[in-house]
Amino acid sequence: MLLQAEHVKKTYRLGRVSVPVLRDASISIREGEWVAIVGSSGSGKSTLLHLLGGLDRVDRDSGPVRFDGADLRAFGAARENRYRNRDVGFVFQFYHLLPELTVLENAMIPALVGLSRMRWMSDRAALRTRAAELLETCGLSHRLGHRPAELSGGERQRVAIARALINRPRVLLADEPTGNLDIHTGSGILDLLAERHAEGLTTVMVTHDASVAARAQRQVRIADGQVH
Amino acid sequence: MYAPLLANRYLTSRVIPFIAVAAVALCVALVIIVVSVMSGFLEMVRSTGRTMTGDVVVSRSITGIPFYPELVAEIEALPETAAATPVVETFGLLQMPYGSGEGGRDIEMVEVWGIDPESFDRATGFARQVYWRAPDAAALAEMAADDPRRDEFYQRGANAMSLRSPAGQPGVVLGIEISPFNRRSRDGSYRAIDPRTDAHSPLYFMPESGDVILTLVPVTEKGSLSGEKKRKLAIVNEFQSGLYQIDANRVLMPIADAQAMLQLDEAPIVSRTELGPDGRPLRIGTAPARATTILVRAKPGTTPEALRDAVQRAYGSFERRVRGDATRSTTAPEARSVSIATWEERLADFIGPVEKERELMRILFSIVYVVCAGLVLAIFWAIVQEKTRDIGILRAVGASRIGILWIFLRYGLLIGVVGSFCGVAIAWGVVSRINDIHAALGVPAPWWAQALAAAAALASIALVVRGARRESALQTVLWGFLSIGSMGVTAALILHRGFLIWDPSVYYFSEIPSRLDVWTAGTTMLGGIVFSVIGASIPAARAADTDPVQSLRYE
Repeated sequence: MLLQAEHVKKTYRLGRVSVPVLRDASISIREGEWVAIVGSSGSGKSTLLHLLGGLDRVDRDSGPVRFDGADLRAFGAARENRYRNRDVGFVFQFYHLLPELTVLENAMIPALVGLSRMRWMSDRAALRTRAAELLETCGLSHRLGHRPAELSGGERQRVAIARALINRPRVLLADEPTGNLDIHTGSGILDLLAERHAEGLTTVMVTHDASVAARAQRQVRIADGQVH
Repeated sequence: MYAPLLANRYLTSRVIPFIAVAAVALCVALVIIVVSVMSGFLEMVRSTGRTMTGDVVVSRSITGIPFYPELVAEIEALPETAAATPVVETFGLLQMPYGSGEGGRDIEMVEVWGIDPESFDRATGFARQVYWRAPDAAALAEMAADDPRRDEFYQRGANAMSLRSPAGQPGVVLGIEISPFNRRSRDGSYRAIDPRTDAHSPLYFMPESGDVILTLVPVTEKGSLSGEKKRKLAIVNEFQSGLYQIDANRVLMPIADAQAMLQLDEAPIVSRTELGPDGRPLRIGTAPARATTILVRAKPGTTPEALRDAVQRAYGSFERRVRGDATRSTTAPEARSVSIATWEERLADFIGPVEKERELMRILFSIVYVVCAGLVLAIFWAIVQEKTRDIGILRAVGASRIGILWIFLRYGLLIGVVGSFCGVAIAWGVVSRINDIHAALGVPAPWWAQALAAAAALASIALVVRGARRESALQTVLWGFLSIGSMGVTAALILHRGFLIWDPSVYYFSEIPSRLDVWTAGTTMLGGIVFSVIGASIPAARAADTDPVQSLRYE
């Protein structure tokens, strides 16, 4: 298994109140698989995605989240940052692009985060080329110098996908990637994800839309903090 | 590598960082301007003090030093000495050539220096302080077109150097501020003003206006007053040292005349019991002439302290020689009764407090740094609040806490550096033009400045109306404040009739002294940068602690 959650628990505290979001959630994802996690609002699907991506940590009494067999709980801060930077790529419902940067710079950001000054000096040209090529495959070659505010919703999500892929991650984690888009634009985004999956990219997608989930190879349903 | 990119973009793509830059710049400029004026004041005190007294002063007040020509010669022979000159120093009453009523004379209490002009010039640069003299080419280039010194009538330098009137009568050189008719113009030059017409008039030009009557009171060796001595002296010129207290009080006259009036000149010693062949008291010796002060100028490269030590040794040798000479009727005063001090030691009472005041100002105004840090902190807190989502994104793509911390510290550093450089530029602009700014404040505002302010007020009122029509509260409020401000400036410019902030009678110098030194600018800049980073560090740490899940959860 490439990515695995075993009896995972996650509780949030809201003031003095503890809200258990995931009670005993387990999921296994094989390399090259496209899995859709479906469920209603508040079911814990985004939380599970965040735990799989190392954005959040499981409870103390929880089972582990494993990537390629390694327990994420054992990761130190540096390894955890590297995991988020190199091993997984995130796509969010609201794109979450940096408004001060251009499309090209937004796509390059994860690579810049992972590069030392020395590497930047030597790899700069290659990195720009790769980001431009990625954006071209996402249909954005004419938008490289634009700011996110100048793009449509679909274009912004394509930039977010290019950004998620810049470091050639082994897993793409997409949280409601079409949730903020119209059907036609959302379909285009799903086509893009399908192309990447066809190239062998492991994809985990969270959605509450059955028609979107249908594009995945496998669907898992989450309800009451448990995967069914 | 993302930190510099983001720090630069955050700085250049938003308005709020420029408010932080402006805050840092103003804080830095404020500290530099205040310290520069204080430093300039101190520098001018030092330079003027040194100019007027030489590097080392040998003094024995009232009774003076006998055989002083020998001492002067001995001091001048020292390898450390460039020049030495004797001075007779006392106080006196000066009856001015003007006053109320027919033939009335105003009386001024003055500090009288009897000098030998030639050696006094070598020791103090006196010739350069003589005010009414023929200007050289460089001085001419700087003079205003209507400066009276361009006129040959006012060029009296030669008389000053002889301290004699053209008729050969002994004369005085007055400090330029002694006469109330000498009015300082905006360009720094003086004009003799007729008080009845308030216009420039050669009638009130002191060297042409008549004589003064100087009254001195000799003091005996036992400390009692002898009968006062009066002498009519021609006003041959005026001098300007730049130090108001000197220019308003000091009078220079020939040393021989001062000695004669104070009974410090060479005089016969007669027997109280025996008569000579002519029936008069028998002359048994000669009392030598005395000088109360010897001013000594050091050679370039010699410190005043080194010169003082050498002069002390020279005085010891002089004292031993005089005391060992039985043929002399008078002995030299003991070294302990003679003060030999550097100019700085002489002015310590004055320089010390000014130095302390400068340091106190530096410390007090350093509180501005805390204000600077507080402003940066508040602004950065708002920026971090606004950038929470960006921080979440960066954490999601693998940025470390240190990396996030560094973005905002770098941002603070950038604001500190840009702000500090702007602050130095503002300070340099103000300090280098401080007297022009002061002069501009001292006259009514020019018509174009009034017109410009009025135009700005009208334009901002029009923008208020436009903002109100568009129902934009922000535009209405912003332009409203601007219009109130510009109307206030317009009113101030129209009503402004000029005011004097720097009154030389209070502040010693006729010009605002200021000196922007590299050390002050450098340390203040560094302070601005350090406190900007300190101000940014708390919001930066808060940014580093941002939970990416929380920051990305909701749009």
